[in-house]
Amino acid sequence: MMEYLLQGSVLDQSLESLLHRLRGLCDNMEPESFADHELVYLLKGQQGNPFLLRARRSLLHPPAPWHLRYLGQPEVGDKSRLALVRNCVDVSASHSLPEVLNEMGFRMDHEFVAKGQMFRKGAMKVVVSKLSRVLVPGNTENTEPLSLSYLVELSVLAPAGQDTVSEDMRSFAEQLKPLVHLEKIDPKRLM
Amino acid sequence: MQQREEKQLEASVESLVTRVAHLKGSLQSFIYKLENEYERLTWPSVLDNFALLSGQLNTINKLLRNEKTPSYRSQVIIPLLLSPDRDEELAKLTEQRVPVFSHEIVPDHLRTKPDPEVEEQEKHLSAEAARIGPEVAQKQIQTLNKLCSNLLEKLNNPRDDRDSETSALRQNKPSFNPADTNALVAAVGFGKGLSKCRPPGPVAPGHPGQPMMSAGPTLHQVTVAGASGHQTGMGGQVTQQQPGQPGKMPSNIKTNIKSASASMHPYNR
Repeated sequence: MMEYLLQGSVLDQSLESLLHRLRGLCDNMEPESFADHELVYLLKGQQGNPFLLRARRSLLHPPAPWHLRYLGQPEVGDKSRLALVRNCVDVSASHSLPEVLNEMGFRMDHEFVAKGQMFRKGAMKVVVSKLSRVLVPGNTENTEPLSLSYLVELSVLAPAGQDTVSEDMRSFAEQLKPLVHLEKIDPKRLM
Repeated sequence: MQQREEKQLEASVESLVTRVAHLKGSLQSFIYKLENEYERLTWPSVLDNFALLSGQLNTINKLLRNEKTPSYRSQVIIPLLLSPDRDEELAKLTEQRVPVFSHEIVPDHLRTKPDPEVEEQEKHLSAEAARIGPEVAQKQIQTLNKLCSNLLEKLNNPRDDRDSETSALRQNKPSFNPADTNALVAAVGFGKGLSKCRPPGPVAPGHPGQPMMSAGPTLHQVTVAGASGHQTGMGGQVTQQQPGQPGKMPSNIKTNIKSASASMHPYNR
């Protein structure tokens, strides 16, 4: 499965207007609030590029299973493709996930807490979340926001090769302007 | 001559009737949608419906303004026969809304004067207008004209005049900060700006109950102590395991295996 992604951000003071607009544009159901603690595990091989796995657990529903995700490198296709496309593998895992990963040789690289709301429109998912850094490793009570903005992500999970998906995403992103500019941001550029 | 006028009248009335029927149909479907499909309705489709209605109203207006349409004001409708019996033809024509052409419905349907309340208001307004006198009225007309022309000028002018004002306004209230976008995307993408995991050096097991201060220098101290502990006292750390802290216990074991690559570890950052 490939994940098509567009990202943007919105300042705290404009959050309400964005949420109103999303409520109108997206499927008419109560938006889902979430508070997740994500840990990113790295496996440093001899070759060079470390292997990254993301483990996520819900802080609102502690008994829920963990969620493990692998995200590949963004596909360097034609530059005209409107969304970031990358390989994506999602699995659920039990609560012993961190121990298993550590035993396998992964080491936790960083962690953060994401709190926000999720909206759906058909196959598209819009996630508005506030990222906070965890000050004491393992302690999710004591967090500090990373910035004064909320991260807005528009994503679709679809099999490879469907370019109509990015067209639909682009037209949806147009409807959120000028409140928030969703665009394809290459993380390698920000390194 | 008269026949032509009659034909024109008939044709214009027919087209008016069809346009009004279209408008009625779209209003009906819109109301139905609002009442029954409330959960699935989205704002863009509501806007589309409104746009459709406004377009249809526009065509009706254009039709009425057309030169070929005779003036309806000069036509008079006189009821020739009123009966309290149900008229099937009429009922069919009006979709069961007017079943009887009787004394009750005629005053409402064939009314040409405005409602009594509206008549009262019109009388008041014309009395006011007569009261204030012609010069004052002229001045008021002039101010209104000036305001309208100012507004039209502002709306029609090329963008450069407007853009400077609006861009100044917009800069005061931007709704997103591109620098923040980059920071957040970098944080989610590869953890830029997020504190790296602290190793369970000799400091951490020694202070399990104390809350770790979030001040900068303390964290650095932990890093340095942890890193140095990492590279030196590897064997001694095996006994200081804390099973309650995720991510910390197993790294003690790993240091034994990865001792050669400990110097490449990012903990020193």
